Amino acid sequence: MAESADVVVAGAGPAGAAAALVAARAGLRVVLVERGPFPGSKNMYGGVIYPRVLDTLLPRWWEEVPVQRWVTRRATMVMTGTKALTVEFRGEDWDAPPYNGATAYRADFDSWLAGKAADAGAELVCSTTVTGLLRDGTGRVTGVRTDRPDGDIRASLVIAGDGVNSFLAKEAGLYEDWSVTHFTVGVKEVLALPREVLEDRFNLTGDEGLDIEILGGTQGIPGGGFLYTNLDTIAVGVVLSLAGLRDSGKRPEDIIAALKDHPAIAPLVRGGELKEYSAHTIPEGGMDGMPHLAADGMLVAGDAAHLCLASGIWLEGVNFAIGSGALAGETAIEAIGSGDTSAAALSGYRRRLENSFVLANHRKLRGAHKLILGKRAQTVYPELACGIAQRVFTVTDPQPKAGLRRWVHDERKRGGVRLRDIVKDGWVGWRTFG
Amino acid sequence: MGVPRYIAAALKWVDLRPEVDPLAGTVRHDTRTSGLSLADAAALEWALRLGESWQLPVAAITAGPPEARAVLRDAAGFGPTRLVHVAADRDAPSDAIARALAPLLAGAAVVCCGDYSADRGSGSVPAFLAHHLQAAQALGLTSLAPEHPGSLVAQRRLDGGRRERLQVSAPAVISVEPGAAQLRRAPLSGLLAAGRAAVETAAADQAPEYGSRVHLLRTTSYRPRPKVLAPPRDQLPRARLLALTGALSERMPPRVVRAAPEQAADQLIGYLTDNGYLG
Repeated sequence: MAESADVVVAGAGPAGAAAALVAARAGLRVVLVERGPFPGSKNMYGGVIYPRVLDTLLPRWWEEVPVQRWVTRRATMVMTGTKALTVEFRGEDWDAPPYNGATAYRADFDSWLAGKAADAGAELVCSTTVTGLLRDGTGRVTGVRTDRPDGDIRASLVIAGDGVNSFLAKEAGLYEDWSVTHFTVGVKEVLALPREVLEDRFNLTGDEGLDIEILGGTQGIPGGGFLYTNLDTIAVGVVLSLAGLRDSGKRPEDIIAALKDHPAIAPLVRGGELKEYSAHTIPEGGMDGMPHLAADGMLVAGDAAHLCLASGIWLEGVNFAIGSGALAGETAIEAIGSGDTSAAALSGYRRRLENSFVLANHRKLRGAHKLILGKRAQTVYPELACGIAQRVFTVTDPQPKAGLRRWVHDERKRGGVRLRDIVKDGWVGWRTFG
Repeated sequence: MGVPRYIAAALKWVDLRPEVDPLAGTVRHDTRTSGLSLADAAALEWALRLGESWQLPVAAITAGPPEARAVLRDAAGFGPTRLVHVAADRDAPSDAIARALAPLLAGAAVVCCGDYSADRGSGSVPAFLAHHLQAAQALGLTSLAPEHPGSLVAQRRLDGGRRERLQVSAPAVISVEPGAAQLRRAPLSGLLAAGRAAVETAAADQAPEYGSRVHLLRTTSYRPRPKVLAPPRDQLPRARLLALTGALSERMPPRVVRAAPEQAADQLIGYLTDNGYLG
């Protein structure tokens, strides 16, 4: 005989745990099913979390959240083959409550958040894979099937937080437009360094952390790079357009190796002992790749709903997963309370997302990923910026300084950059980010 | 000893992937990677099989810190009727563990244990346990075959690739190798019920004193055995020192091979051949 619950949540990642937390707090019987031996055991991401979304869910979360370092310095590096131009912001405010961002290991963070859901009454079942949906004669989702003996669970509502390749959302027919262009692949290495070496090298003290986002440095493949500092490790990696990687014929580990050999990165990673190598698909299509968010008896949250924000300046995923998961939990409470979990009754989920930062940001930054992954932003503008910077900082005595206007003009000519493309991209960028 | 009333699985909670600091030798444990070793999982599986075969209930018991209750939750997924946790230190000696467990296992037809633990344990708890229970012991078993209730035939390894078959009668303590059985997958209903299962807690000081005249005074920390190397043959101290340290001797610097797989393989094979590692 099948088990029964009010809500079954597939996946104990940030989206699933937040959904389970909210629903369990309302007294619903929630079963949170996790494929790995513990939450976070198989999850991979770049390494930075922006936890302010927890302010309402878990007040004073910073007193117990398991982070590595609080990000107090945020740098953006524009990179060519041998040059790099870095802009860095340092904020002391970010090293005190309520903080801004933090580096964290997902095994720690996800376990902690799922533990909060379990404390609230959700029943966490690990080492169990949801293999499919249960449906009634009308096609309505009525639960999930797992790989356990007697593994069916009937539920009023299923929340799919099963990640970027959400088999449940696909099985429910929620994806209409499935394209490889909506995805990137993130590849990273975690390198161990003695803590004191790391802090000396990156000029960090205490629990301060540095976040470097890199534009360029991906061997011409659309994407970017990153370098984050943990307590005694650094995470260095690249995010690559799947289609671009396929067309290039290159291997991601070679791209990372080249990034680590770059004159601007090599001194930072020197002597690091490789502790971990991992890769993960990232849903970067934003609104363009987003599936329908609700079916009869089912909601989709987190990466499964493509709610990962990749817009160049802002690269955020976990906070969007938590935000969408919490709103899925609220919707579950409302729908189950009214006794109606049809797709129409669950439409409040999208409304909630629209009214929150989740879809508001996605809507505002809808075209950002195309702009950032475009050829000019990836290769032409980094060359232009680095070239101008080099001219500005090069002392050419006895020749007098030509002046900024001349340098920009010369570099633009050298790179074959048309003024109208700069104006056009500037306008698009202003409309997107402004 | 009264009529056997149940089968027991005595399970050890160990860190299956401890991190060892290569310089200091300190061990870092993580509760998330802790659980049953394969040998203990095989023991639990045999406890379940014996319980089914002899129509006896199964109890699971463990000794360790509060986190060790996790293995009882795991075991509860299979439906044991009784779960008992004995508070003890993670590194408590085998005899202390056996003394703590023994009073709680009186009346067990068979106590099933793993034959070793993943944290360099000696596998001696089952022997101590059998002594305190005044039960038969059959340790290091590779296979078991239950006969009529209270009797089973077991097999274990001997030196030289030989095997011996044992007829074992209850009450008995057995320990099994990891390959003796693969733990079945717990049903979903069992896992959900396990979260609500009651775990009895027993204090270690409930156990009677063992009347041994040998007392443990101290246990030194684990150190790998040194590798014995022949001393340098030179007579002069300086020459011996140079030979030992390799200073001033020419050596090939480490080199990272960066090439396409085929070329890299050729280079590696060439290096191994040139240096006498291959034909």
